[in-house]
Amino acid sequence: MVIRIRELRKHYVMGDTVVRALDGVDLDVAQGEFIAITGPSGSGKSTMMHLIGCLDRPTSGIYQLDGEMVSEMNDRELAIVRNRKIGFVFQTFNLIQRTTAVDNVAVPLFYARRTQVREPAMRALQRVGLDHRAHHKPNELSGGERQRVAIARGIVNDPKILLADEPTGNLDTRTGRQIMDIFHDLHRSGVTIVLVTHELSVALQARRIVRMRDGRILDDRPVDDALRRELTTTTLVPESAEEPEPARGAAPPLARPVRV
Amino acid sequence: MFFLRICLMALRSLRIHPLRTILATLGVVIGVSAVVSAMAILEGTRSQVSDRFATLGSAKLFIFPGQRRDRGRSVGNINTLKLSDADEIAARCKSVRNVSPQINAPALVKFLSANTTAQVLGTSETYADINSYNVEDGRFIRREDIIGEVSVAVLGHKVKQELFRGRPAVGEVIKISGLMGTRAFRVVGVMEKKGNIGFTDVDQQVVIPVTTAMKKLLGFDGLQFILCDAVSPSTEDIDKAKFEIKQVLRQRHRIRPGQSDDFEVQAQGEFLKQFNQMQNIFAVVLYSIAGISLVVGGIGIMNIMLVAVTERTREIGVRMAMGAQRGDVLQQFLIEAGFVSFLGGGLGVLLGWGMATLLESLTRILVTSTTSFAIILALSMATLTGIVSGIYPAYKAAGLDPVEALRYE
Repeated sequence: MVIRIRELRKHYVMGDTVVRALDGVDLDVAQGEFIAITGPSGSGKSTMMHLIGCLDRPTSGIYQLDGEMVSEMNDRELAIVRNRKIGFVFQTFNLIQRTTAVDNVAVPLFYARRTQVREPAMRALQRVGLDHRAHHKPNELSGGERQRVAIARGIVNDPKILLADEPTGNLDTRTGRQIMDIFHDLHRSGVTIVLVTHELSVALQARRIVRMRDGRILDDRPVDDALRRELTTTTLVPESAEEPEPARGAAPPLARPVRV
Repeated sequence: MFFLRICLMALRSLRIHPLRTILATLGVVIGVSAVVSAMAILEGTRSQVSDRFATLGSAKLFIFPGQRRDRGRSVGNINTLKLSDADEIAARCKSVRNVSPQINAPALVKFLSANTTAQVLGTSETYADINSYNVEDGRFIRREDIIGEVSVAVLGHKVKQELFRGRPAVGEVIKISGLMGTRAFRVVGVMEKKGNIGFTDVDQQVVIPVTTAMKKLLGFDGLQFILCDAVSPSTEDIDKAKFEIKQVLRQRHRIRPGQSDDFEVQAQGEFLKQFNQMQNIFAVVLYSIAGISLVVGGIGIMNIMLVAVTERTREIGVRMAMGAQRGDVLQQFLIEAGFVSFLGGGLGVLLGWGMATLLESLTRILVTSTTSFAIILALSMATLTGIVSGIYPAYKAAGLDPVEALRYE
């Protein structure tokens, strides 16, 4: 298992109340899987993404990534894990401005203290079909191209998992489809992908869907015809999911994590 | 490699806001330019003064007339130093050589329609030998000229050129306008080209007998000072010479034991010491100003770095997601602050050097010297200021929570 999560909890204190953003989650993801985590706003999927991405520490529970007990690591160790084992793709691309595509892709290599950065960065750009735009800056690229640069940056370190947070959220349908095609290609070549999205059509492109609600896993099923039929006829992912998310995360900015 | 890349990153963020960066470093620029120009002026005058003293020889003693002090009040006459005092010192002080009484004033010197301003020096016949200053044409003033208060003059090289050009000067009559009116002097000699002796440009000088200068041209009763040498520059010999001079002068001036001297004897070393003390005070003032502007500059850098951290919160979040450790972020902002400040320092060095050079060409008296030591010192001070000012902003950046930073709009 690449990801092994047991009884994972994340609680925030907001004023007098405790927000249980994650309230006891169990999840296993095997090498080479393409899994979508979905759910409405406030379901806990963003918190889930932060924890899987080692950006945050759980209040309690166990998280093992590639055999390492991530849930007990300090900041420095988490940074190293993020650098070596996780690739991020964000909804807003999050490229560094005024820096060329190839230099953006090289950022994780730079923090890995690699001396050879150009070559692998160019190879990663090739994999997303953007090597011809390597020396353009983000403001000279289209939205789809920016996201492809971000994907190249996500895979440049050969991570254990590629963690994508609403990767098509800021793109039109056609460009979004192209981005999803890249994810399919990467999946075929063996990359483990964890996709966090509230869009049903995007989630359905994964091989497995984990649906969340109120900080818990509602169900966890492989994508087959039965599921497709069920999800397109009934709306288990409710209307609120169709609106754009206000803040990207279940916890409002003022919330502070608690340790239990 | 890592360091180099961080420097490149710092350079990139400078390019984004060039004007803002320049304004932020203004304090450092001013501070550094103050340090550089102050050091240039101090170093310049220091080397100039020691060079000038070097032309005098190191065993030089200066005897000044002074007013006697009695119960805190000045009593007696300022013109206490007489020509006979100089003769007596020369005759009786065994540790003293090369006694040279001097009186001088600027005066207008004329030959026919040509005229020039020269320093008129009234002195004795020993002056030329003491300073190994040779006659090029004619002769120097003699003992008889002094005794007879004869109106003869010996011209400095430049004065001769200005009044006579190529023509011979010896034997001609020039007019010198002093405080007592204009007098005719016969030129008896022209001196070689020499440059400076002590603090005087002797080429622009006219030497006349000291008696003539006092009584007929300038109307002084006493000497301005007596220059002499101790037999050696060693402290014992200088002290011995000073003691002998004091003894002779006190006796001649009838100063009773317990009364203070009506003259002053100073060795060259004491002058240098006084000069150095003065310079130190000057240096403290200049460096305090420089220090204050560097502190202000540091605040400017801190401010701009705090702005940069806030502006780039999202970027910091992204970098952390990509695996930047807190130390990496800290390092990045520290280097950036140091780098900005270093560039400001470079600008300050140029400005300070320019200011010193301008001052030198404007005043024509001040000599400045910008040493590489001063430049290195100023640059490292600037960089250090930047790094120190960057600590708090960098610490703030490194302490950001990656989740919050990524969410920052």
